[in-house]
Amino acid sequence: MSEATPHYLKDGTTIRSWLLTVDHKRIAILYLVSVLVGLLLGGIFAMALRLELLTPGPTIMDALTYNRMFTLHGVTMIFLFMIPAIPSVFGNFFLPIMLGAKDVAFPKLNLLSWYLYVIGAALALWGMIHGGADTGWTFYTPYSTTTPTKVIPILLGAFVIGFSSILTGLNFIVSIHTLRAPGLKWTRLPLFLWSLYGTAVIQILATPVLGLVLLLVAAENAFGFGLFDPARGGDPVMFQHLFWFYSHPAVYIMVLPAMGVISETISTFSRKNIFGYRMVAFSSLGIAFVGFFTWGHHLFVSGQSTFNAGAFGILSMFVGVFTAIKVFNWVATLYKGAISFKTPFAYICGFLYFLVFGGMTGVAVATVSLDVHWHDTYFVVAHFHFIMVGAVMMAFLAGLHYWFPKMFGKTYHEGWGLVAASLIVLGFNATFIPQFLLGNAGMPRRYYAYQEQFQALNVASTAGATLLLFGFVIIAIYLVLAFRFGAPAGDNPWGSRGFEWTTASPPLTENFPGEVEITGTPYDYQENAPSLRITPEVVRGS
Amino acid sequence: MHGQRRYWVVWIALLALTATTYGMSRVDLGGHWNLVVALVIAVAKASLVVLFFMHLWDAKGTNRLVFIVSIFFVLLLIAGVVGDMATRFPLARPPEASGLQGAEPPGPGRDTVHGSQNERVR
Amino acid sequence: MEARLAHHFRAIETQRQAERFGMWLFLATEVLLFAGLFCGYTLYRFLYPETFHAASAHLDATLGTVNTVVLISSSLTVALAHHFAHQGRSRVAGVLLFVSVAAGLAFLGIKAVEYGHKFEEGLLPGRYFHNEHLKAPGASMFFTVYFLTTGLHAFHVIIGMGVLTWIGVRAWRREFHENHNIPVELAGLYWHLVDLVWIFLYPLLYLV
Repeated sequence: MSEATPHYLKDGTTIRSWLLTVDHKRIAILYLVSVLVGLLLGGIFAMALRLELLTPGPTIMDALTYNRMFTLHGVTMIFLFMIPAIPSVFGNFFLPIMLGAKDVAFPKLNLLSWYLYVIGAALALWGMIHGGADTGWTFYTPYSTTTPTKVIPILLGAFVIGFSSILTGLNFIVSIHTLRAPGLKWTRLPLFLWSLYGTAVIQILATPVLGLVLLLVAAENAFGFGLFDPARGGDPVMFQHLFWFYSHPAVYIMVLPAMGVISETISTFSRKNIFGYRMVAFSSLGIAFVGFFTWGHHLFVSGQSTFNAGAFGILSMFVGVFTAIKVFNWVATLYKGAISFKTPFAYICGFLYFLVFGGMTGVAVATVSLDVHWHDTYFVVAHFHFIMVGAVMMAFLAGLHYWFPKMFGKTYHEGWGLVAASLIVLGFNATFIPQFLLGNAGMPRRYYAYQEQFQALNVASTAGATLLLFGFVIIAIYLVLAFRFGAPAGDNPWGSRGFEWTTASPPLTENFPGEVEITGTPYDYQENAPSLRITPEVVRGS
Repeated sequence: MHGQRRYWVVWIALLALTATTYGMSRVDLGGHWNLVVALVIAVAKASLVVLFFMHLWDAKGTNRLVFIVSIFFVLLLIAGVVGDMATRFPLARPPEASGLQGAEPPGPGRDTVHGSQNERVR
Repeated sequence: MEARLAHHFRAIETQRQAERFGMWLFLATEVLLFAGLFCGYTLYRFLYPETFHAASAHLDATLGTVNTVVLISSSLTVALAHHFAHQGRSRVAGVLLFVSVAAGLAFLGIKAVEYGHKFEEGLLPGRYFHNEHLKAPGASMFFTVYFLTTGLHAFHVIIGMGVLTWIGVRAWRREFHENHNIPVELAGLYWHLVDLVWIFLYPLLYLV
């Protein structure tokens, strides 16, 4: 490894070298900056909502603004942060490295996917600046097709971002099939890659359906085509079918990569082989597949037939089985492991707790008779925030803290890391547990005003949100400081057996200084010999 | 690599199938049979295009799997949506839909409290 | 010109397989894109079977059949183009690709004529529907579905024509031969998909 070879951050320092890069690692950093802006925006909208909900009546905004605010919060959080965050940041950065490859299969398509993200985000933001939509991020017809608010740019923005997601998934599947280094059998593939594979299958199959239905709503809103208009013989519930056919599997686009991060980190921080590797890998594909059979559970009270409701209710239970398989395997991995309670591990603990409880409430709302009571109340809001913020966000933060030394070559302050993690877990509980109680007591969601008796719990929830906010601010501060002034991190500060830890911190542009051969699994802590071997570059024929 | 003859043969077959489907559509087969026949012929034509023009006949298993899986999910979507409409409580259907005239809803609950199911809800 | 092995692929054959696989995945997304419209068609046909049958009679089945023959034949020329490119006869492949583009243009021309007729007769989607003879519930829905599906399809024909023109120009410049012809193959796959969608649209809209 020559000292003169710059690592990927220093290999070209002009703006042009960043904006026209085809290096998957730089594209990952471009995505990181972009999704963090999305997270910031979504967080601002969330705080605005929580401030408004401090009092039963108007607090800081009027009803129309409130409706716009929760629409923007949903659209921004889901399309600009949750869907792309883990795959397009950590997936892009580490998938090729974990394959022992130099890049993804189609590096230029990768760059295109980022530009599509930016264009889509800009379109959606343009709509927001001009007042935004008040339909909710779910754009239900007939309101979305008749509202005069600026729903069309937001629909088009989401449509364009969908293509970004499709290209990422396409790139990942082809890469995993065709770029595995010699010796990297499917049974040695890192579990993060198995989870990305499942995610990519969903991105390919489900996203186009969303793309079409968003276009149809935009067309009907603009031109009055009437595909969902009952006055013309249309069925507004068909919109919900088409919408949720994507949007339910979409939650697995968010959760599967998160689970993949947990598989990687849980093995490292218990210094133990992952328990039940094959079952964990298989369950990633299982979730991706079965997730497509459950969309009707969002339509339980929409006018869908009771037959469909019953069928979808039963099918929805099956997804829980695969998630449970993973949870049991993770816990078994921890058992008798040599636990290293660092910041990533704090987030792992948060993840397990939130996934289990959020998941159980998912099984609860998938029960038709119970959902009749809870649908469109804060119970559902709390359920999905437990999974989205609780599980997925914890995993994102775990991945960020785990891979930060590798991506930037710097160390962050461990003490502040644990402080922030504690604030976030605490703040999260304080924000969303009251919402379960509110929903069960009957407070509807997306309501600007509420009854007096709900105020105490709402105030508690807003207080919790403030704690969450402090936690995030602390993370932002120490990570930026670490990026600028942190102590250099070694190649493998956690002592992990993962393949990515055999590279330099930060990695070279070419990832590896020679030809890679895989000789073991990424989780074998009994073994002393390295599982990834590099031989110096040999002149290749064409 | 095989000669170009294969493509010409498939082309003739496609033209013949097109003529057939056009001809069959001029004949009233009663009930839904016209639709069934048309779909069967369309599937045959599509299979020829996919297998021979698009080379799936001599392609790798993964490419075949990708195509088959995509078709499966299209059918899943359609089955879920049409299945919903076919099994709905009558008052939840579009009121003028002739396609469900006379069909009894399965499962529980004709709403006898609010009158006969033929009453238009206004 | 030779095929260039990208630095991250280990062998040229792997690169070709990856490109082919990538195109099939992209075609899967196109199939799922049209799925929503086929779903809408099926649902509304299920609800208004007689109206859809009657409305279908207002489409010109002759023009539809001609268009079907045009597209099928253009699929033949595209398949032959790849065949000749593989044999090293790149210029012939280029000509065949241009013929396919011309077929696409003919297809669009015929569709434009058909759309013109629909405008005259008031057989338009949604709130623009104003035909005197077809008043049953669901009539305007047939034409909403008709315009949305054929419109989205025509959009893909235009994109396909663009792709075939670009590859055709490269073929005319003698770029392709036995060891380098995958761009022709991939462009062909896209065009065949456009043909596939029409193979289903034609009977569903025009014949039943």
